[in-house]
Amino acid sequence: MESLSDTQWDVTISGTGIAQSLLALALSRSGKKVLHVDKSPYYGGPEAALSLQEAEEWVTKVNQETSQYPFEDATIFLPSPSEPNSGLSSRAYTLSLSPQLIYSRSELLPTLVSSKVYRQLEFQAVGSWWIHKPTTGRDKDLYRVPSSREDVFADDFISMKSKRTLMRFLRNLSQSQANQESAEEEKSALEEALTKSLSEYLTTKFQVTPELYDPLLSLSLSQSSPQRTVASYAVPRIQRHLTSIGLFGPGFGSVLVKWGGGSEISQVGCRALAVGGGVYVLNSGVESLNQGEQDTKNSRVQLRLISGETITTKYVVGSDWDLPVLSQSPCDHDRVSRSITIVSSSLDDLFPVTAEGGPIPAGAVVVFPALSLGLADELPPVYIFVHSSETAECPSGESVLYGSVSIPGQQGQSLIEGAIGKLLQSSAGPDARVLWSLRYTQLGRAVDGDTRPANVVSGNVIRFPPPSLDLSFDDSIIDLVKDAWNVVMDNEASPEEFMSFTDRESYDDEE
Amino acid sequence: MSEPTSVNTPKPSSSVKLVLLGEAAVGKSSLVLRFVNNDFQENKEPTIGAAFLTQKCSLPTRTIKFEIWDTAGQERFASLAPMYYRNAQAALVVYDVTKPSSLTKAKHWVAELQRQASPGIVIALVGNKLDLTNDGSGDIQTDAERESAEGDDVGNNQEEQEDSIPGDARKVSTREASTYAEEEGLLFFETSAKTGLNVVDVFTAIANAIPESSLKSGRGAGAGTGQTTLGGGRSTDDSRVNLGDRGAATAKEGCAC
Repeated sequence: MESLSDTQWDVTISGTGIAQSLLALALSRSGKKVLHVDKSPYYGGPEAALSLQEAEEWVTKVNQETSQYPFEDATIFLPSPSEPNSGLSSRAYTLSLSPQLIYSRSELLPTLVSSKVYRQLEFQAVGSWWIHKPTTGRDKDLYRVPSSREDVFADDFISMKSKRTLMRFLRNLSQSQANQESAEEEKSALEEALTKSLSEYLTTKFQVTPELYDPLLSLSLSQSSPQRTVASYAVPRIQRHLTSIGLFGPGFGSVLVKWGGGSEISQVGCRALAVGGGVYVLNSGVESLNQGEQDTKNSRVQLRLISGETITTKYVVGSDWDLPVLSQSPCDHDRVSRSITIVSSSLDDLFPVTAEGGPIPAGAVVVFPALSLGLADELPPVYIFVHSSETAECPSGESVLYGSVSIPGQQGQSLIEGAIGKLLQSSAGPDARVLWSLRYTQLGRAVDGDTRPANVVSGNVIRFPPPSLDLSFDDSIIDLVKDAWNVVMDNEASPEEFMSFTDRESYDDEE
Repeated sequence: MSEPTSVNTPKPSSSVKLVLLGEAAVGKSSLVLRFVNNDFQENKEPTIGAAFLTQKCSLPTRTIKFEIWDTAGQERFASLAPMYYRNAQAALVVYDVTKPSSLTKAKHWVAELQRQASPGIVIALVGNKLDLTNDGSGDIQTDAERESAEGDDVGNNQEEQEDSIPGDARKVSTREASTYAEEEGLLFFETSAKTGLNVVDVFTAIANAIPESSLKSGRGAGAGTGQTTLGGGRSTDDSRVNLGDRGAATAKEGCAC
């Protein structure tokens, strides 16, 4: 059997997270000799999808080997700890560490299409945005956020005055998109207004009433309160939400990937490279790295793999968690609390078909402004992404709730727990309960909209920045992958070749 | 919640992810090539990397589109299979009827699938290279067949063939394999990718064996058995979003169907 060290590798990719796997896809027709390794026994790295059994092993790893994973403080919560497996069948679940939704306007989708791997993925609609608003005299505490003019007209919850201001704001958004070339002074006034907080911007520019702050904020998926979210961050994201609707079908503007979200995209990228001749080795990360003399053009990096083999490669690409730690102290990471909760209800009411002829959504977004959880309103909101069993993440009759709040630690976890309690109260039958829950802190980079992240390139070693903590797919990942691709292609490939492939076999496109 | 399907709609079509497992050189890729292209290549090179192919199988009530994942070539690191059998609804575990060790390997794969794959996965055990035995030679081919017996699996088979009856290289009896398959609840076939014998039958049998519930909910039986109708007529197609619709959708603002 030929051993790994017999090959002079052109590129070694360490880790199978989304960035590395998209790079694998980008290199799948390059003719380069690519070795792709991962220290874990599964694909997806920080974007993996896990069965219950795998989740248990993951918790142990995360807590034992601290700083080896971009996660901390993982625990599994069982409603009745006396019966550890609660009768749940481990492999009936595919719980995603990356439940990000993908906007129809995300650069990821054209990338998956031009590279032809989209055929191997199944996309499902994320339908409604709900906001928790405790009210008296109404049976429902969840209120559907209107996100189109039709929605606003049909809405019976907000006041007429609010409706008028909301329509004005929505009209303005669609106009500013259609008419980019507004007068210079108008432009600078607009830019100045955008430096304010979202709440101030909405009030001073459009007289939007405070009752609409939270609903509009939710469309931006901002993880700070309206008072603490800069308008220049939120407004383009609200615009993205609105202009994404209808792009791939009526009534929805974002999608999720069936079978485990980001993990599926990772695997499709890795398969593409495997089909193209790349070699895959799991359970074997990079243990140590010797860069040798840096300046020579043809210098090679020597890598020792955890499996004990020593290989040489021209380039090595990974994240801080997949490559030996740099000598300097690692930069500070942002932290958010996350949880994955299996509940014993299909929560059907959260997934209405949102437009005639539209698909049945498999995902919904439920937002709990801090105030609705009895907290000061400058605290960040809790987001719960609800996935139906149609996502194949759980058996039918159940659903999976992905909670997130940008407060790490115990405080964040109790906020999420409180939000889930309220969600079940208002949307599920009296018998609905939490069956199983995984809670953890995730490390990464918060997205502020201003600074573009960059790879750290040192000689032939390329490090991706920490994973994005955005709740929607962060398009900057594609730029990072493209930058890394450029380097390992020795800047010889032309930019339009990036991710542009023909089908490996003929397809009839009638379906 | 969902509209009843109209009478004129075509047969429902479901995708089934099928993973192909088995020792090197048992003819996994050849089986798929026969099924997908109705073709056979003598002395096929080992598959480099892995392969992905699709083929439709039409049943009376629905169309099954197989998405076939061939792990070939990379068994040495056992690193692709975990990705392939995750979420797979069907598996084809192949051995070579002329090579007992390949059945042992096949049994390992079956055990691995039963441990790791989706609950409810349909597994078919397939003994390939029937053309090298007396059962499979039929009247189709004679000389060419003999050549391939030697060309295939250089080194591995030759000694074994010398002490067997001329013309019959069978080393694994049908009874042994079928008994095992029955015990484990597997579909069982003996095939020849070379002559095409039984190849389509394997895939048709798998298509028929996939439970309707697994096609709807995507996930095999598991904890949800018997509850699949809760969604009120939901099927995979109702929630699927087609990225190919982008052009049409932008042109007329929605209405992609």
